[in-house]
Amino acid sequence: MAVGSGVAPLRPLALPKFRSSSEATILGILGIVLFLGLWEVAAQVGWLNPVILSSPSRIAVAFAGQWQSGQFLGDLGVSLAELAIGFVLSAVFGVAVGIAMGLNRITEYALDPFVWFLYSTPLVALYPLIVVWLGFGFATVIAITFMLTVIPIAVNTFSGVRSVDPSLVCAVRVFGGSHKDVILKAVLPASLPLVLAGFRIGLSRALIGVVLGEMFSSNAGLGFRMTVYAAHLKTADVFVPLVAFVIIGIITTQLAIMLEGRLQSWKT
Amino acid sequence: MILSRRLVVGSISVAAFLVLWQFVGQREIVRSDLISYPTEVLGTFIHLTATGELGTNASVTLQEFFEGFVPSIAFGVIFGVVLALVKPLRELLDPLLTAIYTAPTIAFIPIFVVWFGVGTYSKVVIVFISAIFPIMINTRVGVSEIAEPWLRAVRSFGADQLQVVTKAILPGSMPAIMAGIRLGLGRAIVGLIAAEMYVSISGIGRMIQVYSSAARASEIIVLVVVIAVFGYVCVALLRSVENRMGTWRSDLE
Repeated sequence: MAVGSGVAPLRPLALPKFRSSSEATILGILGIVLFLGLWEVAAQVGWLNPVILSSPSRIAVAFAGQWQSGQFLGDLGVSLAELAIGFVLSAVFGVAVGIAMGLNRITEYALDPFVWFLYSTPLVALYPLIVVWLGFGFATVIAITFMLTVIPIAVNTFSGVRSVDPSLVCAVRVFGGSHKDVILKAVLPASLPLVLAGFRIGLSRALIGVVLGEMFSSNAGLGFRMTVYAAHLKTADVFVPLVAFVIIGIITTQLAIMLEGRLQSWKT
Repeated sequence: MILSRRLVVGSISVAAFLVLWQFVGQREIVRSDLISYPTEVLGTFIHLTATGELGTNASVTLQEFFEGFVPSIAFGVIFGVVLALVKPLRELLDPLLTAIYTAPTIAFIPIFVVWFGVGTYSKVVIVFISAIFPIMINTRVGVSEIAEPWLRAVRSFGADQLQVVTKAILPGSMPAIMAGIRLGLGRAIVGLIAAEMYVSISGIGRMIQVYSSAARASEIIVLVVVIAVFGYVCVALLRSVENRMGTWRSDLE
């Protein structure tokens, strides 16, 4: 089974569909406000130890401090740059490998065991070796991000290429299309939905890669800053990069969903 | 025939990789303490097993994993069903839960260490938190996609609310729940190892951290493979459970 299992296409996370009814919006906002309010009150009244648990107002003060010193924007810039570079490298390489595996059976069979192994391995554990190879910091974080991201993109591209209707390829060939035309005009457009789904999974994995890379092997960025503040028990300051990561996660996921919707609308 | 060709080509490529690795490592074309080589890795595995170091640490990690993962399945399914059935609660909590679900859970590791200490407790919590959100949200989506006629059929035969849940809702949403459990499993393993590597007293992740500061590639590779095999066994077990349920489903239809 290990070798012959093949790799199944990955589905993006199931996300609940938001109905844009105003009632749901109001209730949703109310939920967040209630959560923050309860937390604040619990810290103020002393039900929870505010030093350990912090509180929304303390986090706001910590954010203001990190913002004014310019540190927050600096960390954010580093993290976003790592995320972008890691993701783009993975997208280019992953799509190329996926197409190669999809078009050629021998390539598929040869790479299948490695793809499977990399996909099921917690690659974070390899970070010490990468630090030895690439040094501490930017390059290592990008390498960890790349390793986490490239596999889902390659696997999904591969499944996308496999799902292409052969008659489409024949049609391009009949009209005298070259091998390049076949890939650019038939294979890529037809496998687009699965490739995009791969991008969506890849984006969330890339963010995990940045967090892990920075926590373990970096001297800059939001993840690095969290570990520094945690070591000094500055809980409110830990929450600033943490909340930033949550917001980046939401924004990138929404962007990917929007992109999927827009690029697929041409089909109908 | 096709399967056997897959097996042959796959085996050849893995064998070629191992031979190349052995050659490059042993001949010191690349410094072997950076990449090790297969026979050394095998020797290290035997050594770590024989001294009992691997077994002791693996049992700590396993225990943390199950103490976090089993409750996350139970609570994840229960919360998911409740969220799907109680509309006001769902609308109140949806944005908040989705936000935490989309966020990288591992970013919570430093704060959990502050809250729950450096021992096993903070690892159990990270496993629980990593796994519960995919399970809960998948259950919630699965339950709300159950066809209304099913529920009406069960009700019209006089089922009470509890029976509707156990006879229609849970079986009907089982594929989505299993998908959620599989997603949660992967996240939980990564979270657990990362948390142990971040700070801990014992466990596989702790071993990785210790050997990495000594730049011992062969030990690290052994540990990475051990984790990968554990993940693979879990996924295979889940698949077999799922398949068994699948045959049950097709029997019904």
